[in-house]
Amino acid sequence: MENVLEVKGLSKQYAKVLAADHVSFEIGKGEIFALIGPNGAGKTTTIRMISTLLTPTDGDAVVGGFSVVKQPDKVRECITYLPDEAGAYKTMKGINYLKFMAGLFTTDPQKVVAYVEKAKSICGLGDRLNDKIGTYSRGMIRKLLLARSVMTQPQLAILDEPTSGLDVLNAIDIRKTIKKLAKEEGMSFLLSSHNMLEIEFVSDRVGIISKGHLMVTGTTQELKERYNAANLEEVFERVVNENEIR
Amino acid sequence: MKFVNLLKKELSELINAQMLVGLAAIMMIFMFLGNTMSDAIEEEVKAMTKQYTDITISDRDNSDFTKDMIASFEEAGVKVTNLSTSGEDYAKILADNDTEFLTIIPEGFGEAVQNGKKPQLVTVSRMKSAATMSNISNDNDGPVAMISQYISDSISDEVGLTEDDVARMASPVEIVENTVVDNNSANVSISSLTSKIMIQNMILPIIVFVLIILTSQMLITAISNEKIDKTLETLLSAPVSRGSVIGAKMLSAAIVALINAVVYMIGFSSFISGSTKEATQEITNSVAGQYLSVDDAMAKLGLTLGAVDYVLVGLQLFFTILICLSISLILGALVNDTKSSQFVLMPIMILAMVPYMISMFKDINSLPMGMRIFVYAIPFTHTFSSMSNLMFGNRLLFFAGLAYQIVFFAVCMFFALKLFKSDKLFTISLNLSSKSKFRKGKKGAPAQDE
Repeated sequence: MENVLEVKGLSKQYAKVLAADHVSFEIGKGEIFALIGPNGAGKTTTIRMISTLLTPTDGDAVVGGFSVVKQPDKVRECITYLPDEAGAYKTMKGINYLKFMAGLFTTDPQKVVAYVEKAKSICGLGDRLNDKIGTYSRGMIRKLLLARSVMTQPQLAILDEPTSGLDVLNAIDIRKTIKKLAKEEGMSFLLSSHNMLEIEFVSDRVGIISKGHLMVTGTTQELKERYNAANLEEVFERVVNENEIR
Repeated sequence: MKFVNLLKKELSELINAQMLVGLAAIMMIFMFLGNTMSDAIEEEVKAMTKQYTDITISDRDNSDFTKDMIASFEEAGVKVTNLSTSGEDYAKILADNDTEFLTIIPEGFGEAVQNGKKPQLVTVSRMKSAATMSNISNDNDGPVAMISQYISDSISDEVGLTEDDVARMASPVEIVENTVVDNNSANVSISSLTSKIMIQNMILPIIVFVLIILTSQMLITAISNEKIDKTLETLLSAPVSRGSVIGAKMLSAAIVALINAVVYMIGFSSFISGSTKEATQEITNSVAGQYLSVDDAMAKLGLTLGAVDYVLVGLQLFFTILICLSISLILGALVNDTKSSQFVLMPIMILAMVPYMISMFKDINSLPMGMRIFVYAIPFTHTFSSMSNLMFGNRLLFFAGLAYQIVFFAVCMFFALKLFKSDKLFTISLNLSSKSKFRKGKKGAPAQDE
């Protein structure tokens, strides 16, 4: 399988904390890869480095053939990033937000229209797109932002906690959308989540990160067999505890 | 008890490090301004006292009456400097004799008094600045009052006072006031000029102050809101240059600030012209016939600003806004919560308040050297004093100020761009409202990171 993302020994050292320690993994075309780990494990740091927001202190990540260290501008053309608990411009109407964001990815008006139409069909907000974002519920904002993240058909969509704080129905909707886009359009996803059930349902492969180390990667089935666990939650607990003892 | 519990919680939220630092800063600023004002007032009080103990006059009449008058002043313990002057080039007379004020007793003065007529007395005052405190005391007031008193006394000594004599006693001399600016002099009183210039110059500092605060607040809020809502992360991970993101933010804030400036300028102009129309007319009328109109006098003294001057003032105002925007970019990028975004505005407010208040009351050039350097180091000072500098011919100071502002802006912009192009934008913050537990344990790592 052709790799959309190749992470090679990515590290980030803050003043006194090594937030990511030689993290390496790859994501193939149309693959959904989930990065899971406890709070402060280094998930967001790793994701932000791949999103070109943070500069790695060591290692590199290559997205669509471009290095995040040497060609961050090119990388930004291949990715979209949805931060955890992100908001949108409250005084903007939903439809105008989509147009604004589409305009950052292309200067071709026809493409802008096509992107917005795609986002409209994905978010399912209908006429509410003509209302200001300030009037939206959390679930509606998240759907809008997810639609924004995928409307340009990026090679890699990076979604940090895509369903955090959402009710079950909204979360299910978003998971279904992600799976559909990966399967039907060959879009690749890098997700982070605390919800093991979600990860089991949505992801093709999982990476468990703890204290900056990527401890293990594999499909959910592989990991369950390897750790003789009934579900991903048990795998997660064992991997993290092993790292604590070490 | 429940109320006390609630009260404790509310107080602990309101009384925090940023509030205390803010209060301390405000206290220091007012103490600094108080000291500056007190020095200024002390100087003025000294000057006012000196008017009656040490006078500078020029007796061109040299009659027995004026000689007796001067002798009587000296007998009363007044130090009289009697300069020998001629002609009406008052600027040259002041410069040649190294004095700022002079009362001239013209020829025929004594004869006029003795013939029961009202004699003329010519006063000449040098104007250096339009700051209120700088023109409070006029050293000619002392000699004019003493000469008037002497004439009144001599009239009262006469036997058989007429109605005219009583009127003469009440107003024994006709004062012809002259004001000197640089090498120009005009037949106008310094107080009329000060009033007029003060009214004119009142608008610019208010607009500058409002613009500084408004522009900074807008940009700091815009950037900190983007950081708090994480829309900045979305923007900066999109295929758009960081220079465009910064440029769009700065330009939009500048446009809104300029719209505000125009509205304020129109509003204040109509307010000032409406509220001061009567006063200005009164000043003009009271001296009609005797003096030049204040506007004509200002033109003669070179105190009117031309089109080029207004362009220069506009240029300095433009750089002031750019400086505000570049500082705000840095400050806005360093905050991660609403409380801190309000707090970081304080340094800008203080930097604007100090020159604003000082330039209103005192000529900055007359401050002691150390204080002058401090005040001139504040980039906004040069904008507050720009009109005064151009009016009073301090062009070197104006252009030095403009050059300093350009350098200051370039330095701030360099750091702002460096900050936005680095990942420090997401890894450093000035969270003064509360200490993050995560940061406490792991110093140097971003608080919200996982």
